[in-house]
Amino acid sequence: MEASAPPEILPRTRRPLDRVGEKVFYGLTAFAALLTLAIIAAIIWKVIDGAWPAIHTFGISFVWNQTWNPVTEMFGARVFIIGTLVTSFGALLLATPISIAIGLFLSELAPSAIKGPIGALIQMLAAVPSVVIGLWGIFVLGPFMLQHVEPPLHDYLGWIPIFGGTPQQAGVLPAIAVLTIMIIPITSSICRELFTSVPRDVKEASIGLGATRWEMIRGVVFPYVKAGIVAAITLGLGRALGEAIAVTQVIGNSLRDFPVSLFGQGNTLASQLAGSYQSAPTNIELESLVYLGLILLVITFITNLTAQRIVHRFEKQHAGAR
Amino acid sequence: MRKSALVLVAILATALVAVGAAGAKTGKSQTTVLNGAGSTFVSPLVSLWTPAIGTAFDYTVQYSAVGSGGGIQAITNRSVDFGASDAPLTTDQFTACNGCVQIPWALAGTAIDYNIPGLVVPKNTNLLLTGDLIAKIYMGQITKWDDAAIKAVNPKATIPSVSITPVYRTGNSGTSYNFTDYLSSVSSEWSSKLGRGQSVAWPAGTGASGSAGVAGAVSNTAGAIGYTDTAFAIANHLHFASIQNAAGKFINPSIRNIVAAGGTISSVPANGELHIVNPSKSYPTAYPIATYTYIILPLKTSNAPALRKMVFWALTQGQASKYTAKLWFAPIPKVVLVASEKALQGISS
Repeated sequence: MEASAPPEILPRTRRPLDRVGEKVFYGLTAFAALLTLAIIAAIIWKVIDGAWPAIHTFGISFVWNQTWNPVTEMFGARVFIIGTLVTSFGALLLATPISIAIGLFLSELAPSAIKGPIGALIQMLAAVPSVVIGLWGIFVLGPFMLQHVEPPLHDYLGWIPIFGGTPQQAGVLPAIAVLTIMIIPITSSICRELFTSVPRDVKEASIGLGATRWEMIRGVVFPYVKAGIVAAITLGLGRALGEAIAVTQVIGNSLRDFPVSLFGQGNTLASQLAGSYQSAPTNIELESLVYLGLILLVITFITNLTAQRIVHRFEKQHAGAR
Repeated sequence: MRKSALVLVAILATALVAVGAAGAKTGKSQTTVLNGAGSTFVSPLVSLWTPAIGTAFDYTVQYSAVGSGGGIQAITNRSVDFGASDAPLTTDQFTACNGCVQIPWALAGTAIDYNIPGLVVPKNTNLLLTGDLIAKIYMGQITKWDDAAIKAVNPKATIPSVSITPVYRTGNSGTSYNFTDYLSSVSSEWSSKLGRGQSVAWPAGTGASGSAGVAGAVSNTAGAIGYTDTAFAIANHLHFASIQNAAGKFINPSIRNIVAAGGTISSVPANGELHIVNPSKSYPTAYPIATYTYIILPLKTSNAPALRKMVFWALTQGQASKYTAKLWFAPIPKVVLVASEKALQGISS
């Protein structure tokens, strides 16, 4: 209403109040930015502080020690670290091609009548709370995989050790499936945005030169958005690494060594934290759990830094190509 | 634009006034609030007690079922007025709690639930199990329901060839303590390899969180076996096994049989710790996997009079069958009651 009125001509002279406003605005935005830094620092400090007795007791060998035995008070993180990495990267392996396919379909191929509804549905999937996805994992996905997915995998690919063991309802494979479903909404909607951001004239030019759709996508679209896709995958990975509740509901929460077979039960850093933190009866167990949190933090940092490096390199290549 | 801002201010102002009024309201009343945290096992009983205690004394009991370990942590930090645990405090925990007393205040059994599609047992009976069989199942040594050892104790049953999935509690739980306490007392192998605790290094099976999680996993997994408090097993329509006691009888976790197990206590030690798993063969009707559950109180507390009254009420009127029976808790026997009342006298402000 008021916005549609023609803009007033700016006054020539500034009132002193405007300068103060400028300063306050600067201060507020800087404060918000610094606050996040302060919060991250506080988290790191608190986690190291809380884990210190366990770090002191078990040292760095905690990271590769397999035992987690509350009765003898011997704790080690190996099974949880392997579990976190296997489930997260497993989920990424499945989610990345699916997300790129969804993004391509919605941005390049789908008729506009179904673009909207499918896009909206995928966004809705992102809004489903993880505990609900976990419950669905227990009651629907787990039994479904036990009856219809794991037996054929076992029958045809059983000679590969990861499909070796007996199919079971709770285990690593259902956890990977649940995580895949949870990261697809994020990665696919970012991919779609990326593909639509590719300038129309470039795409049309390649079609005009006689390229097929696939050649256009491979030769023009992908190079243009490579860095962005890596960033999208990193966001998905972040979600998978930290997901606790949905994973703890389906992975079987075993404290044994991580299984070779994906049908066996495993555990992850976040799921062990969620399952045991509130009820840890001894201080050393509590401190060891915080130590697990510290390891998760380190893993997240490393993956984020690596992703940033890749993004940076792609951006440089991209700039060089132009 | 300006109009909507005005509306917003008005809404905010109304909200502030409402909050202020609510604050004034709670400030005026004089109810004593008693905060507790701990055992999920006892929490349904506490929530039945809460309104009755409210009517009797005008106390508001606020109980959070965070698990036994969490309850012990909370009372150690004095962030609550009382803690509740199904596992007795360890020596270290007693020291850390710095002047606490644990008082047995309720008694219940742990049922061994199973889900075996195609199992046929004689009418009005359950699958029969011995402690040794349960230990072997949870150690991963018996993996099929039609194992010869299981068939041998169930001669009249038709047992299908289904793989066994043992289900245990994720994280720490008093029910796990009761269960592993029992297994440690019936199997020397379990005792030496794994021991008793709120959580042990489970050698086989799948973890599920909370009694509800275990009940859900058992009812949802063909071939599963699990352990939950009896009330949960019944509420979820699970079948539960009859367990052989030291006298050689196969016993159900009925209230009568849990009372029999609770009655095996002849005296209460100074620290209040009671073990009633696997009672001797002179108690032929005792269910072998039962436990006392404890309230943990600080010896010095400003709320001492209110806490004494509340716990005394729970130990006496709270044991009436209108509270305990439908949750499958058994009334605590006299010898424990007398000792608990005596321990209660030690609480002062």
